Amino acid sequence: MSRLIFNRRRFLGTAAATGAALASPAYLRRASAQSGGEVNIWTYNNFVPEAFKEQFEAETGIKVNVRLVDDQGKQFNLLAAEQPNPTVDIMTVAGHRFLQFIESDLLAPLDTDRLSNWSNINPTFSEGDWATINGEKWGAPILSGMEVLAYNSDYVSEEEAMTWDTLFSEKYANQTAYIIQDMMSIIMLKMGYDGNMVEYKDDPEKAAQIVEEAKNFLIEHKPLVRKYYDGGAEFQQMMVNQDILLGHSWNGPAAALINDGFPLGMTIPREGSYGFVYTYNIANNAPNAENAYTFLDAILASPEIGAAMTKASGFISTYKDADQHLNDLEKKSTSFPEEQLANMQFFRAEANELKYSLVDPAVEAIKAA
Amino acid sequence: MTVDASAERDRRSMSKPDGDRTFWGRLAGWGPYHTLMRLATASPRRQFLILAVIPVLWVLTQHLGPMLQMVIVSLTDAYPVAPGVEQHFTLDNYSRFFGDSIFWMPFFRTLIFAGVFTFCTLIITYPVAYFLARHVSRKNQMLFLLLLLIPFWVGEIVRTYAIMILLGNTGAVNLLLKTLGLIDRPIPFMYTSFSMGLGIVYLTALYMLLPLYSALEKLPKSMNEAAADLGAGAWTRFRRISLPLTIEGISSGCTLVFLISTGFYATPVLLGGPSTTVFAETIAGFFHAAGDEWPTGAAFATIMFAAALVLTATFQKLMSALRKGEKK
Repeated sequence: MSRLIFNRRRFLGTAAATGAALASPAYLRRASAQSGGEVNIWTYNNFVPEAFKEQFEAETGIKVNVRLVDDQGKQFNLLAAEQPNPTVDIMTVAGHRFLQFIESDLLAPLDTDRLSNWSNINPTFSEGDWATINGEKWGAPILSGMEVLAYNSDYVSEEEAMTWDTLFSEKYANQTAYIIQDMMSIIMLKMGYDGNMVEYKDDPEKAAQIVEEAKNFLIEHKPLVRKYYDGGAEFQQMMVNQDILLGHSWNGPAAALINDGFPLGMTIPREGSYGFVYTYNIANNAPNAENAYTFLDAILASPEIGAAMTKASGFISTYKDADQHLNDLEKKSTSFPEEQLANMQFFRAEANELKYSLVDPAVEAIKAA
Repeated sequence: MTVDASAERDRRSMSKPDGDRTFWGRLAGWGPYHTLMRLATASPRRQFLILAVIPVLWVLTQHLGPMLQMVIVSLTDAYPVAPGVEQHFTLDNYSRFFGDSIFWMPFFRTLIFAGVFTFCTLIITYPVAYFLARHVSRKNQMLFLLLLLIPFWVGEIVRTYAIMILLGNTGAVNLLLKTLGLIDRPIPFMYTSFSMGLGIVYLTALYMLLPLYSALEKLPKSMNEAAADLGAGAWTRFRRISLPLTIEGISSGCTLVFLISTGFYATPVLLGGPSTTVFAETIAGFFHAAGDEWPTGAAFATIMFAAALVLTATFQKLMSALRKGEKK
């Protein structure tokens, strides 16, 4: 299986590279003469297509330095430690974490007038209610994802995967995995509560009681779980090695496995789940702000680049018509039936301070139990 | 010979090469360099200071400095400091550990795991070191040591992934057992105390083996031969001669492995399961969590550091007492 994945990945990489290479020149020819310098980006793996990066560097003379991140909290703390003189220009913040970054003065408002390709983003993402805070835009949406139940379709049926209960069933004891932090929100939703905690913003006692309930549920079911994991690559590894048969996952890593030919299915279970949007943001006091805008405008230039990002990461592109540049399997791995999408809601940020002050210690308690 | 006489001789030797037109020869004869070297080497005290300055600076800036910084952060109420926030000193981060029992389990689990893994490493590597030091010819010892060192040329993560490839449900061990007809279904080795222990023992083995080898290599063969002549069996010879005389190697190896084991992060995260969460993971969780959790993480790291030092010091004291007892 690993051989298949290796070959398939290489094929996909080539396909993505070709797509991006085809897409870039139109923008880059319009771009001004070489400006030089560099742009420093903190982002997730495969969020900057390699072919796009190479061509961007060649055409503009701007060196793109990518530092991989795997965690929003880590990114927040690193940036806070570096302010007021950060080393980063562009970061990848999830939409529901905007507020936290903004309140700590870590982001600069995005001047969309400087982005001639802003209109290439689907308005569902660029004009969503979460995208405007304090009357300003703070980031360019690039990819969207969701929390799904992913399963090995050779062993688990789609019907079984339509409920989160299967993840906690004796039948699949020690063959499951999840990210505890994300699972806390999902369990709250499964229990009939608002996992975003916005409803309890003015009732911290109720919020604490709900988090306690979710925590106790996960502690009670701890003997059934094989692994608490942190990153998408770990999930893929466990699936490929058949160490797990089902698990909670982000749709991106799961889609990448499907595109590799692995017998994987994914659902948004009937109890519901959460979605999120990744955005490129410019850091407050970014050392190379001009280059950051040049980069952002270039990466928004065409749906082919959006499609290349989807092919590489498995997350869903926010660009208009990006799906036109995906093959059937890629389209299938990045789309869900309407009835499942109806169960999905986006993470919201309004009650984040309350939520994370309760959830973070609960996560530690679950791990320690 | 007096120090002055020695310095004068050195001075002459440095200025000597009249006909030496090489770079070093010219440099030695160059006035400012010559004066500088004469001043620097005028006394053993100065020579010592010159030699000591780089290592001392290294230890202070690269080792003690970051640890001191961590201790300072652990005593603050906010770090990194958000704009407009004033930082205060507090002991709250330490009291959080002592006031909340949920943190005790991973803490004590780490210390127990580290102790058990250290003991396992000792038991596994002692015979290897013994074989290497006592039964391999001098000529081949370096070759064997090189073979043992080779895995250490790659990093911790790569070696951890090697263990994953071995122990996974579709890994080499399960495949072999299945091929031999010993199992029908894969044995879930991964994400257990076993997989984590195997990984840590593998990663720390050399830190145990080298001190043991060094101690065993110094052990005179004649003592064992004399004991054998007097009728002592293999076990008695090991218990009465080899073990007591290699106690310093055991002490050094165990100290190294124990301290390293308490600090492992990536290996337990990748190989361990839900029931093997170690304290390093708890500490890392505070650094990942957004918003003023660094001081708590720093305090927890300091607590673990202090606990490991106290335990190691106690162990060293015990070993020292044991050595003294043997000498009597």
